[in-house]
Amino acid sequence: MWFRHNRVLLGKTLFLLVILLMVGLAGLGCVRGMQSVGWSGGAVSGGTLFVGSKEGRLVAVNIADESRQWSEPLKASTPAGGFGCAPAAGGGGCATAPAGVAIYGTPAVSGDLAYIGGYNGKIYAFSSSSLATRWVYPREGNLEPIVGGLTVAQGKVYFGCSDGKVYALDAATGDKQWEFETGDKIWSTPAIDGDTLFIGSLDNKLYALSATDGSQRWEFKTGGAIVSTALVQDNTVYIGSFDRYLYAVNAIDGSLRWKFMGENWFWTKPIAYDNTVYAGCLDGKVYALQASSGGEVAEFNLESPVSSSPVMVDSSIIFASQKGVIYSLDTGSSELKRLIDIEEAVYGPLCASEGVVYIHTQNLTLHRVNANTGTILTSISLKSKE
Amino acid sequence: MNVWDLIILQPVINILIVMSHYLASSFGLAIIALTIIVNVLIYPLTMKQINAMKGMQTLQPKMAELQKKYAKDRQKLAQEQMRLYKESGMNPAGCLVPMLVQMPIWIALFQSIILSLAVAPEGLLNLARYLYSWPIVYSILPLGKDFLWLNLAEPDMPLAILVGATMWLQQKMSMSASADPKQQMQSRMMLWMMPLMFAFLCLSFPSGLALFWVTSSVIRIVMQYFATGWGGLVPSTAGKQVVSDRRYRHRITLQETPLKDADTGADIVEPRSTQGEGLGYQKPGGKWQDRFRAIRRQPRGTGGHQRKRR
Repeated sequence: MWFRHNRVLLGKTLFLLVILLMVGLAGLGCVRGMQSVGWSGGAVSGGTLFVGSKEGRLVAVNIADESRQWSEPLKASTPAGGFGCAPAAGGGGCATAPAGVAIYGTPAVSGDLAYIGGYNGKIYAFSSSSLATRWVYPREGNLEPIVGGLTVAQGKVYFGCSDGKVYALDAATGDKQWEFETGDKIWSTPAIDGDTLFIGSLDNKLYALSATDGSQRWEFKTGGAIVSTALVQDNTVYIGSFDRYLYAVNAIDGSLRWKFMGENWFWTKPIAYDNTVYAGCLDGKVYALQASSGGEVAEFNLESPVSSSPVMVDSSIIFASQKGVIYSLDTGSSELKRLIDIEEAVYGPLCASEGVVYIHTQNLTLHRVNANTGTILTSISLKSKE
Repeated sequence: MNVWDLIILQPVINILIVMSHYLASSFGLAIIALTIIVNVLIYPLTMKQINAMKGMQTLQPKMAELQKKYAKDRQKLAQEQMRLYKESGMNPAGCLVPMLVQMPIWIALFQSIILSLAVAPEGLLNLARYLYSWPIVYSILPLGKDFLWLNLAEPDMPLAILVGATMWLQQKMSMSASADPKQQMQSRMMLWMMPLMFAFLCLSFPSGLALFWVTSSVIRIVMQYFATGWGGLVPSTAGKQVVSDRRYRHRITLQETPLKDADTGADIVEPRSTQGEGLGYQKPGGKWQDRFRAIRRQPRGTGGHQRKRR
């Protein structure tokens, strides 16, 4: 009844509602999937773990004494938009997101260089001991965002880019060796087996390329986009697709061996052990399948989507659900054991060294869990001192 | 998944994705089509809101007069306002309620477009949990972002300007001139503030959202046109408003005038001091002048408009 008596108040209320709506819209945009934060996994080499942090830096963590080194932050390609939520800023431009360039791919280490790709569309090579920058590709300008990881083999760095191309660079100098164009963005990490590179694209295809010159050997079309990384074992390529199938493809000629349907996308790289393929799915389950036929051996419910690639520790496979619960799957007894709940969302690949699993969360923290006992060790902050 | 996600967001997202599939895999067309469909569905509500706003605007000058007249008597003012609402058949909540009902619908559309666009990799990963188990839905993702000259995932300056322009146009159409300076200022503020803020927002948000806003505004312009014509865009509308405002002012003045004064026979002649007020008021040969002459010609004591009321 009160607004019947006060028209001005009614007008003000309407105006306030509009303002609230606009603030809500702005806030909402920042929260719901517009910001690129990154989910880099870790790579261990010579007692040092390399990981891309949410601040847009490569961080080197000495596993023995937990000392850390940080690289210079990667530079964003374009400034953030008016409200700081522009998605193409090369990183988390949102006011609530980190200022740095998002890093999705896991670093690769070879010799004295550590490589990393940024969402700003650049590849960086750092000295693995000092983290000083050795080279950057491209030297001028930027490619489209790089989401997948890097693979180093035969003196080359291979990666896929959102411009739809697969690139091979000279690992020592960063000079481009070859490129191969697919029909859509590439978010997948290349897998190398012998002289063949396997990579999936959002154009629904799995490509097999010559690692030497980038010439196409074959392609295999699935029913959906591919973001997962291929697992190559015993001349078979295992890869998941957005059509909800996990495919086993002949690595020699690209013919289909079998396919298995889950209830959602297969986002992560599967893992194979003892003639069984273990594949985490966004339906919250891990499927254990016969490597030869694709027949289902068992399925394990993790109760939350599985988007981080698992890791093998001895004869156990460690999985993390998006909710942050860490599981250990004993391949011998097919028993799934809940290790611990770190209570933080986990998207990035897991990493293990000497029985310890490293989990990088989006909270600038590197969690450590003993894979055998499930004991949580002191976490390591990746926040730089600057 | 919470209730909002389950009941509102999930269906809308899946419908958007399916529509993209059937509209030449164009997410831009899907946004436009869904915006049109939603507008058609809430057409009665929107029209109710437009009509209520229109009604409220016609009452505003009368309200201003009442406020002026009963500035010191709040109780009397409230009574008169209530009486005015009752007489005109207006409900002051008439424009607020439809707006409140529409708001969740627009927020749901807004959220669905953002989620479906999956601008960042996290967005695509997050989208997976909203999908129904329809093969079309799974296979078409991620949605193509190209539409006309736009990359729907990135902000676009021309589209941001278009958002501002269409919103301004729609606001302007829904406005009418008021004799109340306070009201004028508030209207002017709304006229510029909203379009500017939305245009500014569009410089930060993916252009897919801007496309949604432009489509919504264009639809509202069409609806507004059929409800009120060009409204505030045409100056003569404002003139009519002011004339009716004056007639009302006379009426409430005369309600308080003693009988002997009312019987002069020239009691509705405008005082000179107020003749210059308003826009388009003194058009030669207009209806007001005709009416004025007719009243002047009436003989004393025959009982004019005021007598009849008594």
